Amino acid sequence: MLTGFTGLALTLVFSFALVIALILLLSKTPGRTIWYFFAGAFTNAYYLGNMLNSAVPLVFTGLAIAVAFKSSVFNLGGEGQVYAGGLAATAVCLALPAANAYLGGFAAMAGAVVVSGILAGLSGFFKMKWNADEMISSFLLSSAIILVVNFFITGPLDDPNNNLLATLPIGKQYALTKIFPPSKLNVSAFFAIATAVLVSFFMARTHAGYEMRMCGLNREFSRYGGISVSKYFVLPMAMGGALNGLAGGLLVLGTYGASIKGFSAGMGWNGIAVALIARNSPLGVIPAALLFAYLEAGAKAAMLHSDVTFEIAAIAQSFIFYFVTAQSLYSLARRRKKP
Amino acid sequence: MPYLEMKGVTKRYSDDLLANDAIDFSVEKQEIHAVVGENGAGKSTLMKILYGLEQPDAGTINLDGARVVIHSPLDANRLGIGMVHQHFKLIPDFTVAENVALGAEPVRGGLFIDRSAAHARIGKVIESHGFAVDPTARVAELTVGQMQQVEIVKMLYRKAELLILDEPTSVLTEQEIRRLFDTLRSLRRNGKTCIIITHKLHEVKEISDRVTVMRKGRVVAVRDTAGVDKAELSRLMVGKSVLFQFEREKKACGSPVLQLEGVSLRRRASGRPLLDTVSLTVRSCEIVGVAGVSGNGLGELEDVVSGLRRIESGRILHNGEDISGLSTATLREKGLAYVPADRLHRGASLHSTVTENMIVSNHHGFLRAGFLAGARIQQFAERLTRSFSIDGAPQVPIGTLSGGNIQKVILARELASASNLLIVAEPTWGLDVASSQFVYEKILEMRSAGAGILLISSNLDEILGIADTIAVMYRGRIVAILPNAPDLSKERIGEYMLGLREDFARQTDAERGVRK
Repeated sequence: MLTGFTGLALTLVFSFALVIALILLLSKTPGRTIWYFFAGAFTNAYYLGNMLNSAVPLVFTGLAIAVAFKSSVFNLGGEGQVYAGGLAATAVCLALPAANAYLGGFAAMAGAVVVSGILAGLSGFFKMKWNADEMISSFLLSSAIILVVNFFITGPLDDPNNNLLATLPIGKQYALTKIFPPSKLNVSAFFAIATAVLVSFFMARTHAGYEMRMCGLNREFSRYGGISVSKYFVLPMAMGGALNGLAGGLLVLGTYGASIKGFSAGMGWNGIAVALIARNSPLGVIPAALLFAYLEAGAKAAMLHSDVTFEIAAIAQSFIFYFVTAQSLYSLARRRKKP
Repeated sequence: MPYLEMKGVTKRYSDDLLANDAIDFSVEKQEIHAVVGENGAGKSTLMKILYGLEQPDAGTINLDGARVVIHSPLDANRLGIGMVHQHFKLIPDFTVAENVALGAEPVRGGLFIDRSAAHARIGKVIESHGFAVDPTARVAELTVGQMQQVEIVKMLYRKAELLILDEPTSVLTEQEIRRLFDTLRSLRRNGKTCIIITHKLHEVKEISDRVTVMRKGRVVAVRDTAGVDKAELSRLMVGKSVLFQFEREKKACGSPVLQLEGVSLRRRASGRPLLDTVSLTVRSCEIVGVAGVSGNGLGELEDVVSGLRRIESGRILHNGEDISGLSTATLREKGLAYVPADRLHRGASLHSTVTENMIVSNHHGFLRAGFLAGARIQQFAERLTRSFSIDGAPQVPIGTLSGGNIQKVILARELASASNLLIVAEPTWGLDVASSQFVYEKILEMRSAGAGILLISSNLDEILGIADTIAVMYRGRIVAILPNAPDLSKERIGEYMLGLREDFARQTDAERGVRK
């Protein structure tokens, strides 16, 4: 495991070095840019809080992927699942404009969980029933559902009093309590941590978690041992969908107060990177999500206070993504080579 | 001066794993030299170093009087060293000739493969050594023995002078072993040198001129084969004498525990029967050994009795109850105990801990309100580790254990949940003498306790050693069911295994048409 951490540290150092090289190349005031890129997120409470807040959905999407990877199923539908979860939560809130904040909020989250859980679970079901590749079907379903969500946001649920492509705002009572004003950071951060702990406990200590892990490591062995393996195509997919749905729902209640067109774009994909950095460890997802959020916040700060574009964060994230993927592929290849 | 001389060869894999410790090993020209030792004695490592698959940390290799450095199998081939691996490295869809020429094709005009030249050269190799393979046949159609011949031809085609054979007899029938030994003798006559790695001491006695015995990474003895007997070799290998004979008390066999009635299974595409109306009964206190060459239905038999594969017709009964359609999960609940032949993939999950491996079939019994009861599981794992003297802590990944210890974990797990039926397939494949002995003792204990045991094995010594009744399979059919009497010879079973003999006439479709 130590080599794993050393490897990750090296990957990060190398990626940061490349970012610095890029800044030196692209910026007229590289010193200032580098300062804001690396320290910008800590210069004031607003930046810091927003950085932490943008890590929250990544924890959920990272967990969604980690759970699936641990069971050797691949959920590439994160994008659509987060988005649909957000819309479902919005729709529930709009349908219950005057409900009690806790009951209504809970109903909204339940809606998000159910919609996205079913959406992802379907791919697992297809896999179980007809051996349809869950990677392809989850991706296709997700791509299709994004268009459907777009339709609702810009059509039936559109807010005519707003120039944004967004739904009507949800009731004020649903807004999650801010915990670090003036930033957007809210109690969903606690939910994220609690969820990571719960998922970690579930995988390590429960009956279903054990069977899921065994299926993930060796399906033949699991079947031989008397585990009904087909069940574990559906469950990890549905669980991942539910976690993605939570990410979307909490974004609506905590950050945006409505569904805005494309508001969750990229979160599903970044979840994959987060899970890879965390090596599919549910608790490891928290620091991995923070790292991703930190890079993004740094780039935003550098963009506002200096002369580089936001794309530099995307480039840094891609570096890390490539290196981490290459590293895990390499260790996988080495593991395979051993008889 | 010896033909091959390895001096002070040392290979360390990790701090506590010294695979080869200053090995001195030498082979004379035109000699058949056996290398014996238990699992983990370092035989394979030494041969891998000689073949360029591993680099030694120290030591030198001299071949034909000259110092050589072997970085890769290609280097080894250039030096005239060839290796026949335990698991063949052939492409099933290619012909024999294509497989042999692969990587060393004669080229015409700098671009095209000269097929006719390749065929001519391969034909010459096959003819001059008396191999019985057709160069135009597809490898997928060959028997295991023929595939091994192709591997040898491949090496001779590459002008190998020194052949390394890694456990060449482990997959062969008695007749095929005869054939292989004839081939080796003919190679020796033609000036070739052979190194043969093996576990089987009578083969050492039969085929080799000299023998090197390894133990725990060191060479403990080099002897002229004629001057040692099997007991001494085995003492040298394990460091203590082991008994090969088992006390098999005859017990009154009780009621049928497992019954197969006309069980059939077809290959999906071709319709060729994989299991053809197999009928077999295992009674309590009885070990029924099913013998056969791989590819003749042993694996399929294993799959259907464990519920991993659905049968197409016939019935399987456990204690009189029809279990034909039941899944492995349901059979596990009914107390299925099954030690699979494929222990590294089916029998164990290598990246999971020993403990996790130990509870796969019975983890339902360790639940408290849906949660795994950690303390009880730990106690269970520690108890099994102790009672089966498993060399490895319960919390390490099972893949870090030796083959023998992995098998002990599997056996411990299966025996812990065994009811009155145990299915065991190839239980000692690749295990050393001491581990095999241990496995046999455990199986015999189960028998004494009244269980019925189905032993599926291609190792005739094993079947003759412990089975009460022997069934032989050929092309998916049971061709003989024989009581294990002292006059039953390996050769006779071998004839059944190769389809030269059969006791039961093949049923016509009309005869078995009742349950189609």
